[in-house]
Amino acid sequence: MSFINYATREIQLKIVYYGCGLCGKTTNLQVIHEMLADESKGKLTSLATNQDRTLFFDFMPLVAEAIKGFSTKFQMYTVPGQVMYNLTRRLVLKGVDGVVFTADSQWDKMEENVESFNNLIENLSLQGDSIDKVPYVIQYNKMDLPSVAPVNYLEFLLNNRGVRHPSIIASAKTGEGVLETLNLVTRLVLNNFIKTQTGRSPAEKKNLVLM
Amino acid sequence: MAFSLVQNDVEKLDRILQELLVQSEANGCLVCDYSGYVLAQQGVDAQQDPLLISALGAGVFSASRELARLLGEDKFSAVFHQGERKSIFICAVNLDVLLVVIFTNDASVGLVKLYAGPATAAMRGVLEEVRHRELTVPVPEHTFVLNDAENVFTKR
Repeated sequence: MSFINYATREIQLKIVYYGCGLCGKTTNLQVIHEMLADESKGKLTSLATNQDRTLFFDFMPLVAEAIKGFSTKFQMYTVPGQVMYNLTRRLVLKGVDGVVFTADSQWDKMEENVESFNNLIENLSLQGDSIDKVPYVIQYNKMDLPSVAPVNYLEFLLNNRGVRHPSIIASAKTGEGVLETLNLVTRLVLNNFIKTQTGRSPAEKKNLVLM
Repeated sequence: MAFSLVQNDVEKLDRILQELLVQSEANGCLVCDYSGYVLAQQGVDAQQDPLLISALGAGVFSASRELARLLGEDKFSAVFHQGERKSIFICAVNLDVLLVVIFTNDASVGLVKLYAGPATAAMRGVLEEVRHRELTVPVPEHTFVLNDAENVFTKR
């Protein structure tokens, strides 16, 4: 659930990177942190184990002038991917406005990807949300590695719900597709925000004005 | 729907926080929700990063609530972390909102706890008014318009 502060003309939105262990969620945030100018980003904070595995979450605030007259602050989180940290994933998902599902495209990770996606659906439903109502993007990560599944197979496996969701090919390690994923999810989240606030999508509003 | 505060709400919350700072001799305090959004803050400078304090505070409190559940407790109503120079006290305002108080060890945790009680009660009143308004007054449609830029973020 987004937050609007009319006094400071500020909108806060929460985006969570979700996916199985070692799929590249933290790397996405690290690359975004490197790519963006200082005025667009805050500090990247990682609550990780000694082995650099995410224990609780990574957090990074981003700011943009995305909505006229308001400063839009995006709170970017990752969840710990390891199966045993499910309770932590639920805590981080609370109040989420948009999700990036990061899939590890390597053949031997397919089962973990599906398990993680089902876990996302279940955790959203436990907090009264539905995967069909929360804007999300699927990122097929690690595409620079040799043993990866073809995109159409990944789509068949993970993007097979009634409505096909936007997906992006990426290699977070090299930076490919990372900024595109961020821009896609923020655009979806903003459109959804405006739609839920006004009852119409920005495109419908534009048509109304043109008529 | 979004949770929204207008000028009047923020002024009321700010006044409660200012009063709490004076009474408890704390250095800074903020109100945030469990999603990590900052609703209001006083005395927390940019160096301390209110957004990060809010995100971590919400995480810590949510984790402690789950610990309470595991122990068969209804809830832990507050969390206190004591440092050598600075300490932090976090308590629930209501089911969705938290109060975070930061103070040096010149102040006393007892004093912080004592004044946090009435402050959270006053905040509950403000937040109930907000909730009531959200249920009864619709947001004007013209308020939010997307900027025309193709991408929200660009490479530096």
